[in-house]
Amino acid sequence: MKQASKVEAMVEIVKAGEGEILDVELDVNLQRRNFELAEANRRLLESFKVKAVDFMGSVGSGKTCLIGRLVETLKPEYRIGVIGGDLTTTIDMDLLSRLGVPVVQVNTGRECHLDANLVAKALEKFNLKELDLLFIENVGNIICPADFPLGAHRRVAVVSVVDSPYTIVKHPLTFQTVDVAVLNKIDLAEAVGADIGRLEADIRKVNPKLKIVKASCKTGLGVGKLREALEL
Amino acid sequence: MHEFSAATQMVELVLAEAQRRNAKKVLEVKVIVGKLSFLNPEQLRFAYEILSEGTILENSKLRIEEQEGAIECLKCGYKGGLPVEDNVYYHLGVPFLRCPKCKGEARIIKGKDFTVKSIRIEV
Repeated sequence: MKQASKVEAMVEIVKAGEGEILDVELDVNLQRRNFELAEANRRLLESFKVKAVDFMGSVGSGKTCLIGRLVETLKPEYRIGVIGGDLTTTIDMDLLSRLGVPVVQVNTGRECHLDANLVAKALEKFNLKELDLLFIENVGNIICPADFPLGAHRRVAVVSVVDSPYTIVKHPLTFQTVDVAVLNKIDLAEAVGADIGRLEADIRKVNPKLKIVKASCKTGLGVGKLREALEL
Repeated sequence: MHEFSAATQMVELVLAEAQRRNAKKVLEVKVIVGKLSFLNPEQLRFAYEILSEGTILENSKLRIEEQEGAIECLKCGYKGGLPVEDNVYYHLGVPFLRCPKCKGEARIIKGKDFTVKSIRIEV
């Protein structure tokens, strides 16, 4: 959120006398700064005909694994790049770079989400002329990224069915900002007694527009469906 | 979750504006926080107080106005509040993106703002 210092209010100065109390209207929308940068990212991507997809989900929900599966499936048809966000380490992007696609790791240090400014900086590292598709893996967090659009054309939330049965109802706002929800690790559902019907019903309740994909990134199940849901 | 960085942005903006006007003190800051954002007013206040220490913002009053969320129905065009299910099971009101009139799908049109509305300064 370093862009804060760049935000300047465009307000005329009225001279006041010594010790006087002054009310100053600022009306500066701090979220809007991120929205504007996200829109600029979108325009930049579109000028190079690059489609971008942003993935969010808890740590361990299987975002990296799913992106890896998509890269394997789509690589013959698309020139793909990946941006990965994490507080620290390059573990995820090291893994994905082995698939032979350009990757950029963004280490946020302390921040719990990627923002449009960080993505703009990461975009500078790519030769966008040589890309058709960009996957953005957000920081492992199902809350904060929802407040920060990055300029991607589609947003995906990845939920591991092994985790809490209440992930969706506990984070309704997150599921209202995405286009696709992936119920991942479906191969383990029976073993842990996960109620998939209940999770699907929760998603439909919170956001009836959401496309739901049941997948297992480990076995590759549902990757084709995810591709369809992303219109790729 | 990101209240601290949100508060940092806010404090930096207010300090820059106050300094530009040669203010001796900032007495009050008014902000609008959307109920559909993930910002918690209490945590925002806590971070604001910490960040104000040792600056001309110290002891200033932070007034937080919460902005209600609103949706627009993609089917019938309804514009207004979100239906909320008060489900005892979940111990919270869950807002839904479904039109309360025709049950059609809806999109959010208001409730995500984080706006520094105005400041009161002593010059």
